[in-house]
Amino acid sequence: MLRFAEEVMLLLLNDEDGKFVRVPDWSLSYALAGGVLMDLALEDRIDTDLEKLVLVNDAPLGDDLLDPTLADIAGAEDKRDARFWVERTAAWSDEIRERALARLVQRGILETRDDRFLWVFRARRYPLMDGRAEREVKLRIMEVLLTEVLPGPRDVVIICLADACGLFRRLLSKSELHAAAARIDQVRKLDLIGQATTQAIRDIELSLAVLQQQHAF
Amino acid sequence: MEISQSNEGDALVLAPAGRIDSGTAATLEARLLLAAEHGDRKVVVDFADVRYISSAGLRALLSGAKQVQRGGGGVALCGINMNVREVFEISGFLTVFSAHDDRAGAAAALD
Repeated sequence: MLRFAEEVMLLLLNDEDGKFVRVPDWSLSYALAGGVLMDLALEDRIDTDLEKLVLVNDAPLGDDLLDPTLADIAGAEDKRDARFWVERTAAWSDEIRERALARLVQRGILETRDDRFLWVFRARRYPLMDGRAEREVKLRIMEVLLTEVLPGPRDVVIICLADACGLFRRLLSKSELHAAAARIDQVRKLDLIGQATTQAIRDIELSLAVLQQQHAF
Repeated sequence: MEISQSNEGDALVLAPAGRIDSGTAATLEARLLLAAEHGDRKVVVDFADVRYISSAGLRALLSGAKQVQRGGGGVALCGINMNVREVFEISGFLTVFSAHDDRAGAAAALD
């Protein structure tokens, strides 16, 4: 089973050219961080409520995507809330992204291709080798969005992360997005770490909007 | 966490007592799964004696209820006290589950 960080990277991939859809850096950083924390929660390593995130079990999972954050939480002296840990984990989101991509290549889902332009600059692409995992993620999302079935915990997380990255604008047509907007809003709230992730992104967007407004005057 | 079991009309009532967190959530999920396997189509979860629920508890409820729904049934909630209600409201759980004052109301909503 893929980790959420891997699923997010797959959803960001443009199948035709192996390049990634551009999303704001902070959205992707927080989404990857949220994905790591939500995987730790589903592995029964951490638990959360409205006020705090607590360590449940510090035993490493033998997973290089999750264990560094687990160790960080295990080493913390104070109990902090989910938002704190989303922001803290986002600080190493570049490594999470690179590890997620390396694992997708290792699994034979993606391949790495380096192009050069102007003879100097390197551009790396990740053409899709095996589309099954990507299709499975998209199907899982669509089944929940287009029906009234109760979503499973993994469905909730991936819908929350996809929304956090603004990916539904890419995955759905305008009319589909309009029809699914209320359902997306309903499902993405069902996970408390997911809520903290979304809120962290919204706060940055709000700050940027305020800054832009100040510059406009 | 203890979970007592009874009936309200033709609905199965599960009444957990205490905290539903990472240490106990699996018990709730297992009981809901058992209900689904047993073919119970109407399941009421009575939260009157639950004083705390964490993310793990919410996931267990969602996951277990999904299994009941897969079997063609439904899950309704009742007796939610103020602490637990706040978590349900903020997490949006009350938009996917119907919540009622008492067992009879919850059972009737599953008709």
